Amino acid sequence: MKLSTQIVEELYSLFEVYAEMTSLGSSSSSTTEYIVRVPKNTSKKYNIMAFNSGDKVTCSTWTQARMERDMSNRRIYGEEETTEGVAGSEFGKKQREEARRKKYGIVSKEFKVEDQPWILKVNGKAGRRFKGLKKGGITENASFYIFTQSADGAFEAFPVHAWYNFTPQAKHRTLTAEEAEEEWGRRNKVVNHFSIMLQRRLREKERGEEDEEEGEKGGKKKKKKGARGGDLRIHDLEEDLEMSSDDSEGSMGEDGEDKSKAKKDKGPKGKGKKKKKGSDFEGFEDSDDGDFEGIEVDYMSDESSSDEEELEKTKPNKGEEVPKGIDEMSDSEEESEEENKNEDDAKEEEEEEDGKKTPVQVEKKKKKDSSGESDSSEDSDIEGEEASALFMVKKRTPPKRGGGRGSAGNSRTGSRPGTPSIDNAATSNTLRAAANKLEQGKRQIVVSSSETPSAKRLKMELSPQSASGKNTPQPVSGKSTPSSSDVQLTEDAVRRYLIRKPMTTKDLLKKFQTKRTGLSSEQTVNVLAQILKRLNPERKNINDKMHFYLTE
Amino acid sequence: MSVKGQDVDLTRAKQNTGVWLVKVPKYLSQQWAKASGGEVGKLKIGKAQGKTVVSFNLNEELTVVECSGEKVSSVRTPREHPFAIQAVGGQTLAVFTESPDKVALEGMVVHRAECRPAVTESYMKLKKLQIEESTKPLRLSQRLDKAVTTNYKPVSNHSHSVEYEKKKKEEGKRARADKQKVLEMLFSAFEKHQYYNIKDLVDITKQPVIYLKEILREIGVYNSKGPHKSTWELKPEYRHYEEGQEDEEKLE
Repeated sequence: MKLSTQIVEELYSLFEVYAEMTSLGSSSSSTTEYIVRVPKNTSKKYNIMAFNSGDKVTCSTWTQARMERDMSNRRIYGEEETTEGVAGSEFGKKQREEARRKKYGIVSKEFKVEDQPWILKVNGKAGRRFKGLKKGGITENASFYIFTQSADGAFEAFPVHAWYNFTPQAKHRTLTAEEAEEEWGRRNKVVNHFSIMLQRRLREKERGEEDEEEGEKGGKKKKKKGARGGDLRIHDLEEDLEMSSDDSEGSMGEDGEDKSKAKKDKGPKGKGKKKKKGSDFEGFEDSDDGDFEGIEVDYMSDESSSDEEELEKTKPNKGEEVPKGIDEMSDSEEESEEENKNEDDAKEEEEEEDGKKTPVQVEKKKKKDSSGESDSSEDSDIEGEEASALFMVKKRTPPKRGGGRGSAGNSRTGSRPGTPSIDNAATSNTLRAAANKLEQGKRQIVVSSSETPSAKRLKMELSPQSASGKNTPQPVSGKSTPSSSDVQLTEDAVRRYLIRKPMTTKDLLKKFQTKRTGLSSEQTVNVLAQILKRLNPERKNINDKMHFYLTE
Repeated sequence: MSVKGQDVDLTRAKQNTGVWLVKVPKYLSQQWAKASGGEVGKLKIGKAQGKTVVSFNLNEELTVVECSGEKVSSVRTPREHPFAIQAVGGQTLAVFTESPDKVALEGMVVHRAECRPAVTESYMKLKKLQIEESTKPLRLSQRLDKAVTTNYKPVSNHSHSVEYEKKKKEEGKRARADKQKVLEMLFSAFEKHQYYNIKDLVDITKQPVIYLKEILREIGVYNSKGPHKSTWELKPEYRHYEEGQEDEEKLE
């Protein structure tokens, strides 16, 4: 007893010292007094919801929220043990188990609903999810109160019942522990980290699909991607050579594969590009390291070849996009469409049988290349795009896909003249390669007449129905309206324009640019004048300019 | 039991109501709990040299401290409590309430404060008291003058054993019932569980052990080893268990 009082007195003296040191008291100039109330009979329990400020949570922006307790930890009575039916069960097993646990002192904690975490869902399905874990020990030494100002100016103090720390839950896929371990081991080799999740998704997709064919396709896609990627990694020329040689031995042996192969190249490549875009610079720096990883020949790897192949191939594939990606500033929207579309494309291509389509497709690709290459608002660009779109509309039923492909072509193909050649040359189909080379040569000048007559005719046929959807991915052309796709300076074309909207002569001239029609400017003017005479459109003055228009 | 997936009432959250989170010493919250009317004191908010000064004054009647033990309450809690205001900082704190039927978001915390007592004599005395109380051990050894003689007196027959014997007597010896009936009982028992202890079976059937064992030997088999050791189960030909679902009774 004595000892304790001594201690107490010592402490007391210490407190006194402290008190002397902290002297309060400064005259306040203006004070307002508020009454503080502690309401007694509220059935409401106040709790704190704590978010990390890094998560940037603003409660005022929530439109709708749901909260419930996370009951996943509850062991429903008897559920833990194997709930057998009658067979194999003993009489009184549960009691015996309980007695056994008691004997050994195994104490299982009671399940208290109060202590269970909260699950908060904000803004419905598409919104965020949070998990709130109870923080223990807040009421042990001091109590927290919430002071709110009520309507009459008085303060009301409510005791805080519990404190929950809310953390956001990831919606994106994450790697499991085993996968994470694997990737950690490969971290020095893998350049493109985006491909990790992509691979996983593809793998999941494969597993999920019962259809063998599908799985094959997926596998092929991957392989194709990888093969191309690995080869294209290093130098243009090398890639070129390697590609052509490799692809000719390629795994696709089915009919109609040739075209589809080329298409698939474009497809996964585009996909890869999209993925790679973000890591452009990352890959760029490391490209020295990983450059030689993807080569299939003489590659020493301690992992299974197929696995390695897939990964390495995809990775170099993405890496290959690096130089292109940097140069080309294509829209991400296009690319975002790409992935889905490319997959679709790849699959659909396999359904092709018609060999006749080859030249058309070659053209198409050419057009795509050309259009993709020059993102500047050149009309030839649009032309090419539209042409390809038109082709696609004709050959394949859904025009949307045509648009998609057009866009894919846009963003996929490289910006530099050199690179598209690789793409094209990458096709093992020599015919196409030849055609491509041919196209390239002519492309810069004008859409050459050799194919264009047919092309133009087709375009003419299809221009009225030209895919409006196709034009959306083309961000460049402010001029390209859904209707204006004619190259030929014909009366029909002019009529169409004038029916749509009133135009000045200048506008009309713009529509029929010399590059496209192949006529000189004088000739254009003459022809246009003749057409106008024939049509005899009505005139209207808009903005002090003479506009022509026609009514149906 | 709380309702699953309640919609949170966001009306006050949208108004961006700001609240204060105040840490209050234990003794003060105890005093507040004693307040009958609800009003516990006054809050003074003012400005001094550019800074906001907040202070809480406890009402007079609430300063009386209840003491446990012999000491008469000469100790009083201090009345003045300046608040130390802090910024909320690295956390976004919101307040939500849970009532029996709904969950509502009340607002966001704009300030954190600590209610500190003004250091006075009375506070020191209060603290002294608290420390004394907390240093007292939970268990105490006391010296007794007289030995305790009230336990463990010898008894001719303990109360619980008397009861037990009575129960046994009234139950009487178990009589052998009809064999068929016993078999029926056994089969219905084995419908519920596959393995039974002999004692449990005796309990269920209320038959003498020897008789029961005879019958069991006919229709069942005894597991001396294995996971279900020393239990009886039906012979395979009598068994008709499905995957933990219904059994069919198979009579001979």
